[in-house]
Amino acid sequence: MSTPSRDMPRREGSFEREPARRVFAGELRECRYQFKDGEDEKSPTFVLLPTGERCNRIFLVGTLTEKTRQGEQNMFYRGRVVDPTGTFFIMAGSYQPEAMQQLARIETPAFVAVVGKPSLYQKPDGAVMVSVRVESITTVDKDTRDIWVLDTAERTLDRIAAAKAGTTKDAATAKEQYPTVDTAVFHRMASDALAQIKM
Amino acid sequence: MDFSEAAARISRKFVKDGTAADPVKIEGKLKRLVQEFGVQLSEAERSVITELSREYNIPLPGAAPAGGKGGGTEEKKIAAMTPGEWVTLEGKVVALSAPASAAIGQSGIIADESGAIRFVAWAKANAPVMNEGSWYRIESAVVDEYKGVANLKIHSGTKISEIGEDRALIPTPVAIKDLHLGIGGIRAKVVQEWDASHERMLQSGLLGDETGSIKFVIWKEPGREKLAVNGVYSIFYAQVDEFNGRLSLNLNGATILPEEADIPVSGGDAAYTGALVHIAPGSGIIKRCPVEGCNRALSRQNYCPVHEIQPKFVYDLRIKGWLDDGTKTHSILLQREAVEALTGISLAKAQEIAENNPLGMDEVFIQMRDAVLGRYVTCKGREIDNRLLVNSCEQKKFDSSEHVRLLNKAGGAA
Repeated sequence: MSTPSRDMPRREGSFEREPARRVFAGELRECRYQFKDGEDEKSPTFVLLPTGERCNRIFLVGTLTEKTRQGEQNMFYRGRVVDPTGTFFIMAGSYQPEAMQQLARIETPAFVAVVGKPSLYQKPDGAVMVSVRVESITTVDKDTRDIWVLDTAERTLDRIAAAKAGTTKDAATAKEQYPTVDTAVFHRMASDALAQIKM
Repeated sequence: MDFSEAAARISRKFVKDGTAADPVKIEGKLKRLVQEFGVQLSEAERSVITELSREYNIPLPGAAPAGGKGGGTEEKKIAAMTPGEWVTLEGKVVALSAPASAAIGQSGIIADESGAIRFVAWAKANAPVMNEGSWYRIESAVVDEYKGVANLKIHSGTKISEIGEDRALIPTPVAIKDLHLGIGGIRAKVVQEWDASHERMLQSGLLGDETGSIKFVIWKEPGREKLAVNGVYSIFYAQVDEFNGRLSLNLNGATILPEEADIPVSGGDAAYTGALVHIAPGSGIIKRCPVEGCNRALSRQNYCPVHEIQPKFVYDLRIKGWLDDGTKTHSILLQREAVEALTGISLAKAQEIAENNPLGMDEVFIQMRDAVLGRYVTCKGREIDNRLLVNSCEQKKFDSSEHVRLLNKAGGAA
């Protein structure tokens, strides 16, 4: 035809959901740097993993060993989810009513899958703590937990490789923010986690 | 003002071409243009020359290129036309459409073996009426652009003559990814039918071939029929429009031929494995509008946005959610069969739960959510607009060979 051929205009996804990163409790615990991407009030907040990747959301599977209800007026639940490398501290409050109800119904101990947003807190004694605000929590089977360990181990190894290559912006920032951290620790962590799963 | 000199000059030009042009008549025309209509003499001269050339059907004096090729307009294949040109072509009227305005005498699509173009014959042009399916030679028409699409304008100076013979015209379909604004032909499969978004719409959906997919729409019009889902068609002379930055095919006016053979379609083989990280509201059991061709999801009050209250709704299952592989999150939509297979809850079971439980439809949502959220699944289907329409979905099993591979990976690099 007479109009010049043009590239097929395709509407890009107007909204990109932040992917849920896979990270072991042992690595998440080491996070100390949190930042906002953009000036806007609604800009997402990220926690920078020591292996050099930002995360706004994480997906974790482990054993819910403990849950406690706290607060009277502003009731919320706290819980501990254990993976092969350590413990995730999770919480669901009245701003996450659905997550709170889900958490309230689960009997410990149980394998749970959690989608949530990590953030850093400073405790009164000055210690920094990473806690995960739950978006959803469901009980799952052991198979799912094992698949998650494989998945997370692979992601961790890939992040370490990328950090060594040092090509990404986040990897460079991680070097600045975590000068004392040796990524070999996380490599061993992934390796140990894999070894804990029965062949 | 004296026009005799200009008239004589014009007359001489035509006499040279072997045509008798009456200088008095020419002078009269010039006078009329200049005195009555305030046209400048040079412009009047030009227009008289053009008029006479057309009258005697000779090439415009002086305008003919040295090679002696054609007249002031070039004979062109449709595919080679660009806006702004005067053209002469031979083509077949392959479709006629109702004029959109009283100023238009006739409009439709004319095609030759190279392509097709929309034409508009102005009512003022007094052009002979063309018949669908006949061949014509159209001389001195203008190609211009309307809404970004090339368009052939037939005006009072255009000469149309019917070509008696019926020449063979076999349009060649193009690949969907090569379609562009204008008129196009494809061979494609109806991969999807969508809820009609307008009451004047007969059908809309998605056509796919090996190279991609494109939205199509058929507006209600006598004689227009719906395409069969999964049917393969050769579609010629369809109008390619742009809507919201994407191309779409308007099939009204197109020639549509059903095909026997099935064709492979792209995009149907997208597969993602990841965790289901979110099950969106509106998943589970839903009610759909029972009106023929509507099928919209109803609100809790059984309200259809178009057909209002529909107490005789039909139940359906779906899951809308996000599948996350750790680096990218994919929007997914599971239809009934996939939902039944993944959750183990059939439509009949879901209906029973919805009708006998104090939480009603919410109970179905909760049961399905608890059955699938946080699980690793593999979804296969067709990806459209960044959403995966899932044909099959299954839960991922623990794979010990993957375990071994990762142990090696972790050990090897340490």
